[in-house]
Amino acid sequence: MIINGVTIDATFAEAFPMKGTRLIITALNAKWAMISAQAFTGFATSVIACGCEAGIERELDESETPDGRPGVSILIFAMGGKSLAKQVETRAGQCVLTSPTSSLFSGLDNPEKEIALGQNLRYFGDGFQISKMIDGKRYWRIPVMDGEFLTQEKTGVHDSVGGGNFLVLAESQEQALTACEAAIVEMRKIANVIMPFPGGVVRSGSKVGSKFKALNASTNDAFCPTLKGQTKSDLSPEIESVMEIVIDGLTKEDIDKAMRVGIQAVCDLGAENGIRRISAGNYGGKLGPFHFHLQEIMA
Amino acid sequence: MSPLTFALKTSPAQRIDCSSLTPDLLVGKSVSEIALLELVTGNSTARVDSLFDISGENTADIKFANSTDKLDFIGRNMTTGNITVAGNVGAYLGLFLEGGQIEVTGNTGIYTACEMKSGLIKINGNAGEFVGGARSGYKNGMTGGTVIITGDTGARAGDHMRRGMILIEGNAGDYCAARMISGTIAVLGNVGTHLGYGMKRGTVLLNKAPKQGIPANFNDCGPHTLAFLPLLFNSFAKLDSQFAKTKSFSRVQRYAGDLGGIGMGEILVKI
Repeated sequence: MIINGVTIDATFAEAFPMKGTRLIITALNAKWAMISAQAFTGFATSVIACGCEAGIERELDESETPDGRPGVSILIFAMGGKSLAKQVETRAGQCVLTSPTSSLFSGLDNPEKEIALGQNLRYFGDGFQISKMIDGKRYWRIPVMDGEFLTQEKTGVHDSVGGGNFLVLAESQEQALTACEAAIVEMRKIANVIMPFPGGVVRSGSKVGSKFKALNASTNDAFCPTLKGQTKSDLSPEIESVMEIVIDGLTKEDIDKAMRVGIQAVCDLGAENGIRRISAGNYGGKLGPFHFHLQEIMA
Repeated sequence: MSPLTFALKTSPAQRIDCSSLTPDLLVGKSVSEIALLELVTGNSTARVDSLFDISGENTADIKFANSTDKLDFIGRNMTTGNITVAGNVGAYLGLFLEGGQIEVTGNTGIYTACEMKSGLIKINGNAGEFVGGARSGYKNGMTGGTVIITGDTGARAGDHMRRGMILIEGNAGDYCAARMISGTIAVLGNVGTHLGYGMKRGTVLLNKAPKQGIPANFNDCGPHTLAFLPLLFNSFAKLDSQFAKTKSFSRVQRYAGDLGGIGMGEILVKI
């Protein structure tokens, strides 16, 4: 398949099941809601070392938040419910509770599967915390030095998908980065997904395993342009730079949508802007059960 | 199907225990079977059809017509359905209510919504003493649900209240929120004396400061903007109540008490 001179490889991206939730952070103004959200989603690029993958889904205006203040919607994913609960709690405690004027709410209801949000943070109130049941949901009011920190007690957990991806193969670093930036702009318009890496783009895509026993992932040498003559390379001579976009989403369909608009944005730049191929992180079925076939997505 | 209607034939001389006339207990029964049920009245019993004219057949939607303050225990232990009462009712309306809705067009007697667990009670009139309270000798009043009173309440509204919400559109009597354990009471009108006497936890939200001032056993914690209040007002929006029309506010003067006890309750006064 070729779109605007860009070859779409006959391969698939391989993704794995995760547990995810959506949180809503509000604050006195959009600036401080974003500061808190950025702190919460910091160091959350990959479960390999961060314990979770998190990102900002979108900004919310006053009409979209539970308390009528400006807010930010966050998605956070982990490999299991317990690890998700641990990450949510520690990040909420250190990055939202501490952030001036913030409040924290669940953005995803699932009464069948819930994890603690403010349930344990309430003890920070040292006995002065106040519980409020409003519309069947429990909230905690925790006295803090700037007033009161309001947090919902629990948030719902959704069976999610992590690690959807595609690779952009270009003739230069600048061209690869420009294409990825264009893709991210379009992908951020899709609900229920995040691109957890810095700016949404990864330059150090990994393969499963390593020659070093201590590591379970290592550089994807087949796509490293400097190794074209040194390893079993997947790159043709004109490719000088490869960048990857990784997508986590609440459902496979959400990731499908995000990949489609992202790849389309890259292809719109086309071969004339140095974009030569779109490929994907395919690990031969070793990584996960969700397969995103590039040509099917773009058909 | 038309509502199952019990129209009182004459004003009864004795009190009538209506606890068996709920959707839960009448479901599946025909009108003729219902007519034969015995209700306790005074120190004897009487057949339903000797006290009420019965019409309609929908047991999930029950109406009491020509009601008087002699009808006690309406909606006791109800878990589902609707009860509508035209006229006054007696004591223990909605005792142990677990679900469904009760609406009264008239006044209610003592112990309305006593030990209620869930559901909605709306009184289009005044309510007697101990709204949402606990039975004498019991330690927990209502533990959930919402009670709306468009008029005034008698003394000790929310006595021993543990969870849930009491919304008083008129005035609250003396000892409102006395011995309150938790939950929320909101009052648009005035409140009587001894507000929050023995209050442990919970919130009393006032649209205006009490005429006689805040009780001495509450300490002023200053003016604050509280983030939970917009959520609370949002929850009022779906109610058929003046509270749904009240403009949301989050700026309040906060008083903590009763400091004669654990002092974890609060009175919030709009500023």
